[in-house]
Amino acid sequence: MPRSIPWWLGGISMSLLFYFTFSVWGADRPIGASTGMSYIANMIFGLDPENYEYAAIVEQSGAWEGVMLVGAFFGGLFMSVFVTKTFHISFIPTLWKERKNKSIKSRMIWSFIAGFLLVFGARLAGGCNAGHILSGGSQLAVSGMIFAVVALGTGMITGRFFYKRKGE
Amino acid sequence: MLDRIANMFDIVAKGGHGSIWLVLFIGFVFGAIILYSRLNKFEKMAGFMIFEDTLVPRMAMTTVALSSIGFYFLVQSGYATFDVKPTILGGLIVGAILFGIGLVILGKCPSAFFVSVSEGRVDALVGVVGGMFGGLFFTLGYPWIKELLGTNLGKIRITDYFDGYGLIITLALSATLLITAYLLPTIDYKDPADDR
Repeated sequence: MPRSIPWWLGGISMSLLFYFTFSVWGADRPIGASTGMSYIANMIFGLDPENYEYAAIVEQSGAWEGVMLVGAFFGGLFMSVFVTKTFHISFIPTLWKERKNKSIKSRMIWSFIAGFLLVFGARLAGGCNAGHILSGGSQLAVSGMIFAVVALGTGMITGRFFYKRKGE
Repeated sequence: MLDRIANMFDIVAKGGHGSIWLVLFIGFVFGAIILYSRLNKFEKMAGFMIFEDTLVPRMAMTTVALSSIGFYFLVQSGYATFDVKPTILGGLIVGAILFGIGLVILGKCPSAFFVSVSEGRVDALVGVVGGMFGGLFFTLGYPWIKELLGTNLGKIRITDYFDGYGLIITLALSATLLITAYLLPTIDYKDPADDR
Protein backbone atom coordinates (compact mmCIF):
# COMPACT_ATOMS: atom_id res chain seq x y z
CA MET A 1 0.00 0.00 0.00
CA PRO A 2 1.31 3.49 -0.82
CA ARG A 3 1.86 5.63 2.27
CA SER A 4 -0.08 8.61 0.98
CA ILE A 5 -2.47 9.48 -1.84
CA PRO A 6 -1.98 12.34 -4.32
CA TRP A 7 -4.07 15.54 -4.12
CA TRP A 8 -6.39 14.59 -6.99
CA LEU A 9 -7.27 11.22 -5.50
CA GLY A 10 -7.81 12.90 -2.12
CA GLY A 11 -10.13 15.44 -3.75
CA ILE A 12 -12.11 12.78 -5.63
CA SER A 13 -12.54 10.56 -2.54
CA MET A 14 -13.52 13.52 -0.40
CA SER A 15 -16.19 14.67 -2.87
CA LEU A 16 -17.61 11.11 -3.13
CA LEU A 17 -17.94 11.12 0.68
CA PHE A 18 -19.56 14.57 0.48
CA TYR A 19 -22.14 13.36 -2.13
CA PHE A 20 -23.05 10.45 0.10
CA THR A 21 -23.31 12.52 3.27
CA PHE A 22 -25.26 15.32 1.56
CA SER A 23 -27.82 13.07 -0.16
CA VAL A 24 -30.92 11.43 1.29
CA TRP A 25 -29.16 8.04 1.11
CA GLY A 26 -26.57 9.33 3.57
CA ALA A 27 -27.18 11.89 6.29
CA ASP A 28 -29.12 14.50 4.26
CA ARG A 29 -26.85 17.28 5.57
CA PRO A 30 -23.42 18.74 4.79
CA ILE A 31 -20.26 17.82 6.72
CA GLY A 32 -18.95 20.15 9.43
CA ALA A 33 -16.62 19.79 12.39
CA SER A 34 -16.38 22.87 14.57
CA THR A 35 -19.93 22.70 15.95
CA GLY A 36 -18.94 19.24 17.17
CA MET A 37 -15.90 20.71 18.94
CA SER A 38 -18.15 23.28 20.59
CA TYR A 39 -20.61 20.55 21.61
CA ILE A 40 -17.85 18.41 23.14
CA ALA A 41 -16.54 21.47 25.02
CA ASN A 42 -20.00 22.10 26.49
CA MET A 43 -20.18 18.42 27.41
CA ILE A 44 -16.78 18.41 29.17
CA PHE A 45 -17.41 21.62 31.10
CA GLY A 46 -20.97 20.61 31.95
CA LEU A 47 -22.73 23.52 30.24
CA ASP A 48 -26.18 22.13 29.62
CA PRO A 49 -28.78 23.43 27.16
CA GLU A 50 -31.25 24.26 29.95
CA ASN A 51 -28.97 26.96 31.35
CA TYR A 52 -26.91 28.14 28.39
CA GLU A 53 -28.50 29.61 25.28
CA TYR A 54 -25.65 28.63 22.96
CA ALA A 55 -25.56 25.04 24.24
CA ALA A 56 -29.23 24.79 23.24
CA ILE A 57 -28.49 26.22 19.77
CA VAL A 58 -25.80 23.62 18.98
CA GLU A 59 -27.56 20.70 20.70
CA GLN A 60 -28.73 19.00 17.48
CA SER A 61 -26.03 19.64 14.88
CA GLY A 62 -23.29 19.58 17.52
CA ALA A 63 -24.20 16.07 18.63
CA TRP A 64 -24.16 14.88 15.00
CA GLU A 65 -20.72 16.38 14.42
CA GLY A 66 -19.50 15.11 17.81
CA VAL A 67 -20.32 11.53 16.81
CA MET A 68 -18.82 12.17 13.36
CA LEU A 69 -15.56 13.35 15.03
CA VAL A 70 -15.45 10.18 17.15
CA GLY A 71 -15.58 8.27 13.87
CA ALA A 72 -12.91 10.56 12.35
CA PHE A 73 -10.58 9.84 15.27
CA PHE A 74 -10.85 6.09 14.71
CA GLY A 75 -10.54 6.51 10.93
CA GLY A 76 -7.29 8.40 11.48
CA LEU A 77 -6.06 5.88 14.05
CA PHE A 78 -6.79 2.96 11.74
CA MET A 79 -4.90 4.55 8.84
CA SER A 80 -1.92 5.75 10.89
CA VAL A 81 -1.43 2.35 12.53
CA PHE A 82 -2.14 0.00 9.61
CA VAL A 83 -1.67 1.88 6.35
CA THR A 84 0.61 4.91 6.56
CA LYS A 85 2.37 3.47 9.64
CA THR A 86 3.09 7.00 10.82
CA PHE A 87 1.77 6.49 14.35
CA HIS A 88 4.35 7.59 16.90
CA ILE A 89 4.32 10.00 19.82
CA SER A 90 5.68 13.35 18.61
CA PHE A 91 5.77 16.84 20.09
CA ILE A 92 7.02 19.29 17.47
CA PRO A 93 6.41 19.20 13.69
CA THR A 94 9.51 19.21 11.47
CA LEU A 95 8.66 22.44 9.66
CA TRP A 96 8.07 24.22 13.00
CA LYS A 97 11.57 23.17 14.09
CA GLU A 98 12.99 24.66 10.90
CA ARG A 99 11.06 27.92 10.93
CA LYS A 100 10.23 28.68 14.55
CA ASN A 101 12.16 26.95 17.33
CA LYS A 102 12.97 23.60 18.91
CA SER A 103 11.37 24.31 22.28
CA ILE A 104 8.59 21.91 23.27
CA LYS A 105 7.24 24.46 25.74
CA SER A 106 6.91 27.12 23.03
CA ARG A 107 5.14 24.71 20.65
CA MET A 108 2.69 23.65 23.37
CA ILE A 109 1.84 27.21 24.43
CA TRP A 110 1.28 28.27 20.83
CA SER A 111 -0.76 25.11 20.12
CA PHE A 112 -3.04 25.92 23.03
CA ILE A 113 -3.52 29.53 21.90
CA ALA A 114 -4.05 28.47 18.27
CA GLY A 115 -6.57 25.77 19.24
CA PHE A 116 -8.45 28.35 21.28
CA LEU A 117 -8.51 30.84 18.37
CA LEU A 118 -9.58 28.13 15.91
CA VAL A 119 -12.65 27.02 17.82
CA PHE A 120 -13.58 30.47 19.13
CA GLY A 121 -13.15 31.99 15.65
CA ALA A 122 -15.06 29.18 13.98
CA ARG A 123 -17.97 29.63 16.40
CA LEU A 124 -17.99 33.37 15.81
CA ALA A 125 -18.04 32.82 12.04
CA GLY A 126 -20.61 30.02 12.32
CA GLY A 127 -18.36 27.31 10.90
CA CYS A 128 -14.82 26.18 10.11
CA ASN A 129 -13.11 25.21 6.89
CA ALA A 130 -15.10 21.96 6.60
CA GLY A 131 -18.47 23.70 6.99
CA HIS A 132 -17.68 27.02 5.33
CA ILE A 133 -15.03 26.36 2.68
CA LEU A 134 -15.66 22.75 1.60
CA SER A 135 -19.41 22.31 2.25
CA GLY A 136 -20.26 26.01 1.91
CA GLY A 137 -18.13 26.55 -1.20
CA SER A 138 -19.65 23.48 -2.85
CA GLN A 139 -23.11 24.97 -2.33
CA LEU A 140 -21.91 28.33 -3.66
CA ALA A 141 -22.70 29.93 -0.30
CA VAL A 142 -21.71 33.59 -0.02
CA SER A 143 -20.73 33.05 3.65
CA GLY A 144 -18.31 30.28 2.67
CA MET A 145 -16.56 32.40 0.06
CA ILE A 146 -16.15 35.38 2.40
CA PHE A 147 -14.80 33.04 5.10
CA ALA A 148 -12.33 31.40 2.70
CA VAL A 149 -10.88 34.69 1.46
CA VAL A 150 -10.58 36.31 4.91
CA ALA A 151 -9.29 33.23 6.77
CA LEU A 152 -6.69 32.22 4.17
CA GLY A 153 -5.61 35.83 3.59
CA THR A 154 -5.13 36.36 7.34
CA GLY A 155 -3.28 33.05 7.60
CA MET A 156 -0.83 34.01 4.85
CA ILE A 157 -0.15 37.42 6.38
CA THR A 158 0.27 35.92 9.88
CA GLY A 159 2.55 33.18 8.54
CA ARG A 160 4.76 35.81 6.90
CA PHE A 161 5.43 37.50 10.25
CA PHE A 162 5.20 34.53 12.59
CA TYR A 163 7.74 32.22 10.96
CA LYS A 164 11.33 32.78 9.90
CA ARG A 165 11.92 32.92 6.16
CA LYS A 166 13.38 29.93 4.40
CA GLY A 167 17.12 29.55 4.95
CA GLU A 168 17.32 32.27 7.63
CA MET B 1 -20.06 12.50 31.97
CA LEU B 2 -20.99 9.02 30.67
CA ASP B 3 -24.67 9.92 30.61
CA ARG B 4 -23.84 13.03 28.57
CA ILE B 5 -21.95 10.93 26.04
CA ALA B 6 -24.91 8.54 25.90
CA ASN B 7 -27.14 11.58 25.40
CA MET B 8 -25.00 12.69 22.42
CA PHE B 9 -25.54 9.33 20.71
CA ASP B 10 -29.21 9.43 21.64
CA ILE B 11 -29.72 12.83 19.98
CA VAL B 12 -28.11 11.50 16.79
CA ALA B 13 -30.25 8.33 16.85
CA LYS B 14 -33.40 10.48 17.00
CA GLY B 15 -32.13 13.32 14.82
CA GLY B 16 -33.14 11.94 11.43
CA HIS B 17 -29.72 12.48 9.84
CA GLY B 18 -28.64 8.88 9.62
CA SER B 19 -28.20 6.17 12.24
CA ILE B 20 -25.35 6.25 14.76
CA TRP B 21 -23.43 3.66 12.75
CA LEU B 22 -23.86 5.64 9.56
CA VAL B 23 -22.58 8.86 11.18
CA LEU B 24 -19.64 6.97 12.71
CA PHE B 25 -18.95 5.46 9.29
CA ILE B 26 -19.01 8.90 7.61
CA GLY B 27 -16.59 10.14 10.28
CA PHE B 28 -14.36 7.10 9.89
CA VAL B 29 -14.04 7.61 6.14
CA PHE B 30 -13.58 11.38 6.62
CA GLY B 31 -10.73 10.79 9.11
CA ALA B 32 -9.20 8.10 6.92
CA ILE B 33 -9.14 10.38 3.84
CA ILE B 34 -7.69 13.27 5.87
CA LEU B 35 -4.92 11.06 7.24
CA TYR B 36 -4.19 9.20 4.02
CA SER B 37 -3.89 12.39 1.98
CA ARG B 38 -1.67 13.78 4.83
CA LEU B 39 -3.99 16.80 5.07
CA ASN B 40 -3.71 16.67 8.87
CA LYS B 41 -0.01 17.48 8.85
CA PHE B 42 1.37 20.80 10.04
CA GLU B 43 3.69 20.79 7.02
CA LYS B 44 0.73 20.60 4.65
CA MET B 45 -1.66 23.16 6.23
CA ALA B 46 0.78 25.72 7.65
CA GLY B 47 3.10 24.89 4.75
CA PHE B 48 0.37 25.97 2.31
CA MET B 49 0.14 29.39 3.93
CA ILE B 50 3.89 29.96 3.86
CA PHE B 51 4.10 28.62 0.29
CA GLU B 52 6.02 25.44 1.10
CA ASP B 53 3.41 22.92 -0.03
CA THR B 54 0.48 22.93 -2.46
CA LEU B 55 -1.42 19.78 -1.44
CA VAL B 56 -4.11 21.60 0.58
CA PRO B 57 -5.23 24.16 -2.04
CA ARG B 58 -5.14 21.57 -4.86
CA MET B 59 -7.13 19.00 -2.92
CA ALA B 60 -9.62 21.57 -1.56
CA MET B 61 -10.21 23.03 -5.03
CA THR B 62 -10.79 19.56 -6.50
CA THR B 63 -13.22 18.69 -3.70
CA VAL B 64 -15.24 21.90 -4.09
CA ALA B 65 -15.21 21.68 -7.91
CA LEU B 66 -16.53 18.11 -8.01
CA SER B 67 -18.88 18.49 -5.03
CA SER B 68 -20.53 21.64 -6.39
CA ILE B 69 -21.56 19.84 -9.60
CA GLY B 70 -22.69 16.75 -7.71
CA PHE B 71 -24.62 18.79 -5.16
CA TYR B 72 -26.32 20.75 -7.94
CA PHE B 73 -27.64 17.61 -9.63
CA LEU B 74 -28.56 15.92 -6.33
CA VAL B 75 -30.67 18.92 -5.35
CA GLN B 76 -32.17 19.27 -8.86
CA SER B 77 -33.30 15.65 -8.84
CA GLY B 78 -34.71 15.91 -5.32
CA TYR B 79 -32.18 13.69 -3.56
CA ALA B 80 -30.76 16.45 -1.37
CA THR B 81 -31.54 19.95 -0.15
CA PHE B 82 -29.20 22.91 0.10
CA ASP B 83 -28.25 23.67 3.69
CA VAL B 84 -26.41 26.97 3.60
CA LYS B 85 -24.99 28.88 6.56
CA PRO B 86 -26.27 32.44 7.06
CA THR B 87 -24.06 35.39 6.14
CA ILE B 88 -23.64 37.35 9.39
CA LEU B 89 -20.96 39.80 8.30
CA GLY B 90 -19.45 40.96 11.61
CA GLY B 91 -19.09 37.51 13.12
CA LEU B 92 -17.99 36.04 9.82
CA ILE B 93 -15.12 38.47 9.25
CA VAL B 94 -13.82 38.66 12.85
CA GLY B 95 -14.23 34.90 13.23
CA ALA B 96 -12.39 34.20 9.98
CA ILE B 97 -9.48 36.44 11.04
CA LEU B 98 -9.08 34.62 14.39
CA PHE B 99 -9.48 31.28 12.60
CA GLY B 100 -6.84 32.16 10.00
CA ILE B 101 -4.31 33.06 12.72
CA GLY B 102 -5.06 29.83 14.60
CA LEU B 103 -4.84 27.81 11.40
CA VAL B 104 -1.34 28.94 10.42
CA ILE B 105 0.04 28.56 13.97
CA LEU B 106 -1.47 25.16 14.80
CA GLY B 107 -1.25 23.99 11.19
CA LYS B 108 -4.49 22.03 11.48
CA CYS B 109 -8.20 22.71 11.23
CA PRO B 110 -10.87 21.54 13.74
CA SER B 111 -11.34 18.17 12.05
CA ALA B 112 -7.66 17.58 11.27
CA PHE B 113 -6.40 18.23 14.80
CA PHE B 114 -8.65 15.43 16.02
CA VAL B 115 -7.23 13.15 13.35
CA SER B 116 -3.69 14.25 14.23
CA VAL B 117 -4.18 13.19 17.84
CA SER B 118 -4.86 9.67 16.54
CA GLU B 119 -1.40 9.77 14.95
CA GLY B 120 0.23 10.41 18.33
CA ARG B 121 0.81 14.14 17.98
CA VAL B 122 0.91 15.73 21.41
CA ASP B 123 0.88 19.30 20.06
CA ALA B 124 -2.42 18.51 18.31
CA LEU B 125 -3.84 17.23 21.59
CA VAL B 126 -2.85 20.48 23.30
CA GLY B 127 -4.58 22.28 20.41
CA VAL B 128 -7.75 20.29 21.10
CA VAL B 129 -7.56 21.27 24.79
CA GLY B 130 -7.16 24.91 23.74
CA GLY B 131 -10.15 24.44 21.46
CA MET B 132 -12.21 23.11 24.37
CA PHE B 133 -11.49 26.34 26.26
CA GLY B 134 -12.37 28.32 23.12
CA GLY B 135 -15.71 26.53 23.08
CA LEU B 136 -16.22 27.12 26.81
CA PHE B 137 -15.60 30.86 26.55
CA PHE B 138 -17.85 31.16 23.51
CA THR B 139 -20.80 29.46 25.20
CA LEU B 140 -20.30 31.46 28.41
CA GLY B 141 -19.94 34.74 26.53
CA TYR B 142 -22.68 34.13 23.97
CA PRO B 143 -25.26 36.49 25.57
CA TRP B 144 -22.80 39.38 24.95
CA ILE B 145 -21.21 38.03 21.77
CA LYS B 146 -24.52 37.78 19.92
CA GLU B 147 -25.01 41.54 20.29
CA LEU B 148 -21.76 42.10 18.37
CA LEU B 149 -22.27 39.67 15.48
CA GLY B 150 -23.77 42.26 13.12
CA THR B 151 -26.41 42.14 10.41
CA ASN B 152 -27.68 38.79 9.20
CA LEU B 153 -27.92 38.90 5.42
CA GLY B 154 -29.63 35.51 5.39
CA LYS B 155 -28.76 32.18 3.83
CA ILE B 156 -27.56 33.48 0.49
CA ARG B 157 -25.91 31.68 -2.42
CA ILE B 158 -24.10 33.19 -5.42
CA THR B 159 -26.73 31.78 -7.77
CA ASP B 160 -29.52 33.63 -5.91
CA TYR B 161 -28.45 36.77 -7.76
CA PHE B 162 -28.54 35.17 -11.20
CA ASP B 163 -31.91 33.49 -11.52
CA GLY B 164 -31.99 30.66 -14.06
CA TYR B 165 -28.22 30.54 -14.54
CA GLY B 166 -27.51 28.15 -11.66
CA LEU B 167 -26.02 25.38 -13.77
CA ILE B 168 -23.82 27.69 -15.87
CA ILE B 169 -22.43 29.41 -12.77
CA THR B 170 -21.79 26.07 -11.06
CA LEU B 171 -20.01 24.69 -14.11
CA ALA B 172 -17.96 27.86 -14.57
CA LEU B 173 -16.84 27.85 -10.92
CA SER B 174 -16.06 24.18 -11.04
CA ALA B 175 -14.03 24.45 -14.26
CA THR B 176 -12.09 27.44 -12.91
CA LEU B 177 -11.20 25.57 -9.72
CA LEU B 178 -10.21 22.38 -11.53
CA ILE B 179 -8.00 24.21 -14.01
CA THR B 180 -6.38 26.24 -11.22
CA ALA B 181 -5.74 23.10 -9.17
CA TYR B 182 -4.18 21.43 -12.20
CA LEU B 183 -2.00 24.40 -13.08
CA LEU B 184 -0.72 25.04 -9.55
CA PRO B 185 2.86 23.78 -9.25
CA THR B 186 3.53 20.62 -7.26
CA ILE B 187 5.38 21.76 -4.17
CA ASP B 188 5.72 18.85 -1.79
CA TYR B 189 7.28 19.23 1.63
CA LYS B 190 8.96 15.91 2.35
CA ASP B 191 8.96 15.27 6.08
CA PRO B 192 11.84 12.96 7.10
CA ALA B 193 9.88 12.12 10.30
CA ASP B 194 7.42 10.11 8.16
CA ASP B 195 10.07 7.73 6.82
CA ARG B 196 11.08 5.95 9.94
